[in-house]
Amino acid sequence: MSEPGQRSPRGLRNVVVVGGGTAGWMAAAALARVLAPSSCEIILVESSADGVPAGADGTIPNLRAFHGLLGIDERDFVRATRATFKLATRFRDWGERGGTFLHPFGPYGVDARHELFQAYWLERRRQGRPSRLEEWSVTGLAASLGRFGARPANDSSPLRHLSYGYHLDAVLYARFLRAHAEKGGVRRIEGDLADVVVDPSGRIGSLRLRDGRAVDGDFFIDCSGSAALVIAGALKCRYEDWSHWLPCDRAVAIDCVSADAPAPVMEATALECGWEWRIPLQDRDSSGRVYCSAYLSDDEAASGLLESAQGALPADPRVMRFRAGRRASAWVGNCLALGDAAGFLEPLASTGIHFIQTGLGRLFGLFPDRDFDPAISAEYNRLTALEYERARDFLVLHYAASKRDDATFWRECRAAQPPETMAYKRDLFAKTGRIASLEEEAFGPASWLALYAGLGVWPERPEPAVGIAGARAMASFEAMPEAIRKAVETLPAHAAYLKAIANLA
Amino acid sequence: MAGSAIRRIVIVGGGSAGWMAAAALSALVGRRVDEIVLVESAQIGTIGVGEATLPTLRAFNATLGIDEIEFIRKTQATFKLGIEFRGWNPGRTFFHGFSDFGPDMRGVSPHQLWLKARAAADERSYADYSIATVAAGLGRFAPPVPDRGSVLGSYSYAFQFDATAYAAHLRRFAEDRGVKRIEGRIVDVRLRPDDGFVDAVLLDCERAVSGDLFVDCSGFAALLIEGALAAGFDDWSRWLPCDRAFAVASARAGDPTPVTSSIAHRAGWQWRIPLQHRTGNGYVFCGSYISEDEAARTLLGNLDAPALATPRLLKFTAGRRREIWKRNCIALGLASGFLEPLESTSIHLVESGIGRLIELFPDRGFEPKLAQEYNRLMTRSYESIRDFIILHYHASGREGELWDHCRNMAIPDALRHQIELFRAGGVVALYDRGAFAEPSWVSLYLGLGVFPRRHDPMADLIDEAASSRELQRRARIVAAAAQSLPMHGAFIEKYCRAAA
Repeated sequence: MSEPGQRSPRGLRNVVVVGGGTAGWMAAAALARVLAPSSCEIILVESSADGVPAGADGTIPNLRAFHGLLGIDERDFVRATRATFKLATRFRDWGERGGTFLHPFGPYGVDARHELFQAYWLERRRQGRPSRLEEWSVTGLAASLGRFGARPANDSSPLRHLSYGYHLDAVLYARFLRAHAEKGGVRRIEGDLADVVVDPSGRIGSLRLRDGRAVDGDFFIDCSGSAALVIAGALKCRYEDWSHWLPCDRAVAIDCVSADAPAPVMEATALECGWEWRIPLQDRDSSGRVYCSAYLSDDEAASGLLESAQGALPADPRVMRFRAGRRASAWVGNCLALGDAAGFLEPLASTGIHFIQTGLGRLFGLFPDRDFDPAISAEYNRLTALEYERARDFLVLHYAASKRDDATFWRECRAAQPPETMAYKRDLFAKTGRIASLEEEAFGPASWLALYAGLGVWPERPEPAVGIAGARAMASFEAMPEAIRKAVETLPAHAAYLKAIANLA
Repeated sequence: MAGSAIRRIVIVGGGSAGWMAAAALSALVGRRVDEIVLVESAQIGTIGVGEATLPTLRAFNATLGIDEIEFIRKTQATFKLGIEFRGWNPGRTFFHGFSDFGPDMRGVSPHQLWLKARAAADERSYADYSIATVAAGLGRFAPPVPDRGSVLGSYSYAFQFDATAYAAHLRRFAEDRGVKRIEGRIVDVRLRPDDGFVDAVLLDCERAVSGDLFVDCSGFAALLIEGALAAGFDDWSRWLPCDRAFAVASARAGDPTPVTSSIAHRAGWQWRIPLQHRTGNGYVFCGSYISEDEAARTLLGNLDAPALATPRLLKFTAGRRREIWKRNCIALGLASGFLEPLESTSIHLVESGIGRLIELFPDRGFEPKLAQEYNRLMTRSYESIRDFIILHYHASGREGELWDHCRNMAIPDALRHQIELFRAGGVVALYDRGAFAEPSWVSLYLGLGVFPRRHDPMADLIDEAASSRELQRRARIVAAAAQSLPMHGAFIEKYCRAAA
């Protein structure tokens, strides 16, 4: 009989996390929590130099489940990371210049089946009674009114559909998770990686640090960012490049003084080449531009950003380079890649932290022992590939469906042959009004509808579901905007709520 | 919209597929079309001989507003808690029930807890945690209580019924809602010369029945979808070589069990489906391994009560129509494809075919994207069920020509990965989240003797004594709950006995 924490003969004796950014500390904190009590040691190796690039990150609502798993109190987290609440992204100038639309979290309607809501809303528009989608979403309306607050304990208000993620300071988040992880027993080793020792069977045996120390391990999690020091550097796993679909390959970021009380919204404004973000934190805003180096130099991008960003703080703009795509196999032998080492998608839909979280979830469902059966990693890789491809398609649509005709960048995005799965979805919607859900979608039909409508992709034919659902079901929608508005108006202003829970002066 | 709306739907064939379509379309889209007609010939028999279903049929009936008790009485239905597999694993009989094996513990699946306990020499069977399995073994049944958190609310059920009576019941339902039945045998199909769409079906009485949308429920004949539109057929017999079945009803043998039985034989398997008044039986076999005469003798020799007729022979090929929706024709039931009734999926595929047709309801423009999406969804359903059925043969430890062939044949890539993954760590990969779920795959893997090389390492993080106590407690609760249910026969007698 084995005691709790006593491992099977082939169980992992340790896990070595390589890199201490968001991915590394999320992995270390989660492993320490999930594997406790156990004799499996969690080691994180980071160089004092690498750290997390300064900046702000957005998350989607799922992160709250991750914090739940870790036993993190929301207030502690919000205070420690200067986080604000995120309800939506507001897009400007995307479908066409001057146009604006909102992509909120959460469903449309109140207890409504999405297909029925969508059919109703489209039909209403067709009858000459168009309305803005956010009027039908608790989260969307709260976002546009700048309101946010705790959801009522009483479950009958439309506010039960309020859904939110966060905007957070990436450096502080890694530091916050580090404290959690170290409290959970994670051993941190500071050192620069000099070499990865691969044994003849293709397994990683140990890491060599520049000062000569060796770090042995059974299982390695490569969180070394786009350098992918282990999975690519040592194991030569190739990268599937998606830059022909998502040509942006640079970002430049600065900090700005908060223009106003922080809004629960990320701004994403399309530019002649790429787009500009503004992410509110408690003490400042992060602003940045995502662009394509083939059209725009770093200097041009930086000076453009400094010109347009309100209240830029004096500091040099930070330039980041990336390539859209994913690692062909995120798990090879005894090495799993997480975060930018596993793939990169521009931060337009906040998938970065989300994919670290889902990767960890999959790892826990497919936890290996020292045999590293290839069927286990094959399943991980199958699901991961699908997840990245679905999100890729969602991002590609932002560019491919834009009608902007004022710059070569946009014309070329539109002219590029899109991924087959994206073209299938877009054409199905444009012809029939149906939103196809494929496997492992990170974004549900509500998100796709927000995007189609926002970009001006409209179905060619009336929605037959209207006729099928009948007049009574349809009439039930008429009262929703009023009920939603009433409920949202009971919420405090986001800035006031934030101040209260963050104990800001 | 009115300008291009479907005006007339023509359903070809009046078996269970045809009348299910007529009933559902009349109830759900009837108000939007001028007319729904169903053409059938009284001379052409239907296939139904006693059919087993999946729990989804209850949702289908409920959507139509069909009263369950009346349905049971009219169709001689009995309740079904799952399928018993005899002879598939030479070592033991096993059960695929409509319930799971209990909740996860700290995120670890119950079958993983069981695998760990087994490694520690715990003798209990994983089946002891499945309420549907334990109740079925006792011959007990009552519908689940609404509380999903209680063990008596944690299972589901389906029906075993007379499909011909079901078709008749639905016919009344559909005719009450305005469906017009036309008697006649189809002798030809007329296509529109310009675009090749179906224009009309021509009957032996020299009448033409025209329409905008045609639903081909003509069974194996596939008169429209294949006969007229040549949609093509994906032949799956390299994986599912059984190509024939004898079917025969036998006299009632005591109180009906809430169980469909599948008994492996030398060249295939025998079904046993108890209804209220009689029992449906059949032998699905592969003609290359046994003669028809011998197959019929095998079936008759393995009945538990006298046969009520001479066994009837059916011939088929496993596979699927390449385009189940082509132009203005949608095939349902046997016209859309065939998978042997090993997991009672035929009626289920008709239900989902109808449901998707309603969700993707076309207008007269017949946007090709609708058909493409419909075919994508139906392909996924067909293939995931196909792979589940192949698993039964491929992983069986039974010996014999057919069985050796199936064990050694190359199987679809997805299924190979699924089996390797379960062998590696007891993990279930799902390719179609709408189809058979994890507990079903676990039932089959473990039942057939596909055992993981190790259990989930996460199970080792759970205190051994605590997990052992919890498993014991669960088995006790399941046993007591199952004992508390009435006998299946007594339950039917009391609440839903069919008229004699």
